Amino acid sequence: MKELQKFAYPIFFVVMAILPHLLDDRWQAVAITFLIFAVVALSQDIILGKSGMFNMGQALFFGMGAYTTAILNNEYGWSIIATIPLAIIIPALFGILLAGPIVHLRGDYLLVVTIGFNIVFVQVLQNNLGGITGGPNGIFGLDSLRFLNFDLTSQISVYYFAFVVLLLTLWVMHNLAGSKPGRALHYLREDQLAAESIGINTRVYKIFAFGLGAGIAGLAGTVYATQYSAVSPEAFEFIQSVLFFSIVLVGGSSVPGVLIGVFVMFVLPEIFREFATWRYFIFGFAMIAAMILRPRGIWPATFGKIPKFLIKENNHGA
Amino acid sequence: MDTFLQQLANGLTIGSMFALVALGYTMVYGVMRLINFAHGDMVAASAFVGLTIYTQVMGQATSLVAVIVIFLLTALVMAVVGIILERLAYRPLREAPRLSAVVSALGASLVIQNGIMLIWGPRMRIFPELVPQIYWDFDGVVISMIQVIILVLSLFLMVALYLFVEKTRIGAAIRASSIDQDAARLMGINVNSVIALIFIIGSSLGAVGGLFIGLYYRGITFNMGWQYGLYAFIAAILGGIGNIPGAMLGGMLLGLFNAFIAGYVSSTWADAFTFILLILILIVRPTGILGERVAEKV
Repeated sequence: MKELQKFAYPIFFVVMAILPHLLDDRWQAVAITFLIFAVVALSQDIILGKSGMFNMGQALFFGMGAYTTAILNNEYGWSIIATIPLAIIIPALFGILLAGPIVHLRGDYLLVVTIGFNIVFVQVLQNNLGGITGGPNGIFGLDSLRFLNFDLTSQISVYYFAFVVLLLTLWVMHNLAGSKPGRALHYLREDQLAAESIGINTRVYKIFAFGLGAGIAGLAGTVYATQYSAVSPEAFEFIQSVLFFSIVLVGGSSVPGVLIGVFVMFVLPEIFREFATWRYFIFGFAMIAAMILRPRGIWPATFGKIPKFLIKENNHGA
Repeated sequence: MDTFLQQLANGLTIGSMFALVALGYTMVYGVMRLINFAHGDMVAASAFVGLTIYTQVMGQATSLVAVIVIFLLTALVMAVVGIILERLAYRPLREAPRLSAVVSALGASLVIQNGIMLIWGPRMRIFPELVPQIYWDFDGVVISMIQVIILVLSLFLMVALYLFVEKTRIGAAIRASSIDQDAARLMGINVNSVIALIFIIGSSLGAVGGLFIGLYYRGITFNMGWQYGLYAFIAAILGGIGNIPGAMLGGMLLGLFNAFIAGYVSSTWADAFTFILLILILIVRPTGILGERVAEKV
């Protein structure tokens, strides 16, 4: 497995880097959305897979980032790049604020409350609260991407923007896996009581996971708003959260797993678009079959990284 | 005052439909610790099954006997679908991590929803007028016969279910399985049969709920299951999931709350207010109104 990953990652990055030049317009758009969904799914994995909290409202943070970018760009004339910090900070703050009162809830109750947040969010957007969200139509006509006087209007530059964001996310995930918070999250997912009893403040780390996941999803939202130069409420409905939720569980809580999950749950249905009426019928069976055959996902998580100095040769099997 | 009484009547009607559907969620959760996301789509499917039985089997008859037969046949068909669902999508995953079963339920939901679309088409269908359109006007408060039937029949079914679960031997087996499946098995209870029975009861009650939705709202669409299912599921959570009287209480409360929001505030905010109520109640009582205060199993 380790050897495979050593080769697979560079190959994956090279393929992804040259991919847009091999695709036509429609498939370029699919590839961009693949990258964006991969980032959101990875952020969902931090909350759901890595920390074991049943979050079914990730589209809320995704949408909040997209709307932050859209409103700042459309109402206040900020350039897309300049909205990025706020598009990360605002969802992250909301993630922390919303998670605060609810992280103590038992699994299924947490799931319902996060669904609730998502639905309230969409309804707020649709009812145009404060007169800045554009109601059911959303906001359209955003500026195209510009950076240091380079005009990056073409679809290929949006692709590379999304690709850079994915690489950034992978870098964060990589660092998280080996860091103290990452190990704390892993531990609290495995056994919350044991984690508490060795002095891990589970509440703080759960809220931290929500904040981090929300921030990353917000960043993905910026890319999404850029791709369509528009945002509208239905793109962030609760059903979208169900998609991200299923991606992590079908793929498995690991980076390759999540990427496979996005491919299976988003790109495959796009490929079978011709069978419009039948595809989700069969897709549903595929989801059931996937779970029966691979209950922990297609590519499940291996044990989190433990720093070398903590591993002694002689207590491996203990 | 008129608005109040009118919305009270509407709320009780909607609430009893929510409660019937919520019972399906709560019973399955009670025994299997599984959120059966396909239940809402089962409810939607039963409205369509009822429609087909009405046109194809009963030759569009609307006599009392015919209506009773339509209800019984629909409940029977949905009970069979429920058993198939359990065998196919949930039984293989009993020992798997809990979230795998949730994804399987989501997959089953997609299958049923798109199955309805493939069989009955994507357009809205009009549910037949099985009950004569009789209205009573009490000083401006209008109550229809459909509302009375829905309320009375729902209350009857709920009381019957409550007595069945609390007073009979089979009911005791259901309660025992929901407390501890392994211990129940050691006491000679066939847990597989109990789970099959749960799906039969839940699906038939959902079928009645689906027919009520058809009778009351008239327009039925293939994807309506998510909306009603989500509300019923909230009702179950509100009352304390796994708790049968809780689902009834939660359904009624939610129906009344929704009707009053629609009557006094605005129906465009109904969903948001409903969830805010739910979140506030869960913050104060983390396991619902009638839910037991148990620690999560470790």
